Amino acid sequence: MAHLDAAHNLAFHLLRERADAQDAVQDAYVRAYRAFAQLQGEDIKPWLLTIVRNVCYRRLQERRRMSNVISLDETLSTRAGAASIEAECTANTPSPEQNAIRASDATVLTQALAALPPAFREVIVLRELEELSYREVADIVGAPIGTVMSRLSRARAELRALMMKLLAQDNNNAM
Amino acid sequence: MQCDRVQELLGAYGDGELSGDERRSMSTHLESCKACGDILADYGRIGRALKRHGRVCAPPVLAARIGAALDQIESELPSAVLQPARRFALAGRVFDMRGFARRAASLAAACFIGALAAWNFVDAAGQSDRMERDVLNAHMRSLLQESPVQVASNDKHNVQPWFAGRTDFAPAVKDLAEDGFPLVGGRLDYVADRRVGVVVYKRGLHMINVFMWPSPSSADSAPRIVTRKGYNLLSWSRSGVSYWAASDLNSEEMRTLSRLL
Ligand SMILES: [Zn+2]
Repeated sequence: MAHLDAAHNLAFHLLRERADAQDAVQDAYVRAYRAFAQLQGEDIKPWLLTIVRNVCYRRLQERRRMSNVISLDETLSTRAGAASIEAECTANTPSPEQNAIRASDATVLTQALAALPPAFREVIVLRELEELSYREVADIVGAPIGTVMSRLSRARAELRALMMKLLAQDNNNAM
Repeated sequence: MQCDRVQELLGAYGDGELSGDERRSMSTHLESCKACGDILADYGRIGRALKRHGRVCAPPVLAARIGAALDQIESELPSAVLQPARRFALAGRVFDMRGFARRAASLAAACFIGALAAWNFVDAAGQSDRMERDVLNAHMRSLLQESPVQVASNDKHNVQPWFAGRTDFAPAVKDLAEDGFPLVGGRLDYVADRRVGVVVYKRGLHMINVFMWPSPSSADSAPRIVTRKGYNLLSWSRSGVSYWAASDLNSEEMRTLSRLL
């Protein structure tokens, strides 16, 4: 099935919950199938991912309505470690030793990614994991290309800062 | 350029999305500023780690689940208007046991093509409408499937032999890369209850499905174009072979392809 991994990847990172992500992808494919006539001369991958994203955001809104706690712009994940991170840590100036991020530390990476707000997480996923162009990302998230560029820039800075904070915590715990 | 501004643009710089001027001033700054260079290196490391560890692929069961859901939709599709024609068509088939068996066999074979391989029954509007719909359905299915082809190769010497033994009629496969229609590959599909070979070509980002089957009794006919749901369908007959091409490509380029085939 076309782009199923890409669709699932985006849904999983937005919803952070396996069963929910699968339901969302199925929902999106059914919508895509019914709406196929609307697709004209476009590349199918961005089109499909737009539908996946819309379905996921509706689910996030639904969740928020049900739980009445979490805002879309706030951290969604409550996983250990990630939850304790505050957004203000971008302001920290890294020491040179901290600069050397251990890229192989996959746990820290996924925790940090999960701690980003969905609007940041999605541009990272679409650009870094799905390798879409800024134009395509802009079409999917429905924002001007300049907005995508600055959002990506802030998302990367925040992701890096979160990773350094998590790594520093790891080091402290180890000592 | 100030470090603040440079750091805002580092990601876009790494992504190759900056204009020439910006790129040059960034390069100049990065040659002399270690702090900004270190951040750029971190972004690179994070990007590579994300690609390695961050992608969460679909579990195998999901494709099957979605396939079943789409089959369900297909079965809901025929409107009330279609119902009598559908029953009529089915009744006709029951009387013709051989035809019925053939249909059952092709249905079984269709499962092999994929969960999406279901198509609408004949309606009363006639053969041509039905062809259009079957070709269009097959084209749309091919776009939704993992790959539009079962044999992927831009070399006709790989694609042509693949059809041998799989269809009673091997469609002609051409090398049209120099004419701007590179070969993508081939697959089997179903049009009007028969198994047909499909040769897939590309034009830029546009995929073109070309369906071919023998029709010895058809006189040669000039290409005729119809637009359905935003797709162009071009059909013609030549030397006892019926051709249908489906794509979102514009009609002029579709006609160009028909002349080359
Ligand atoms: Zn600098």
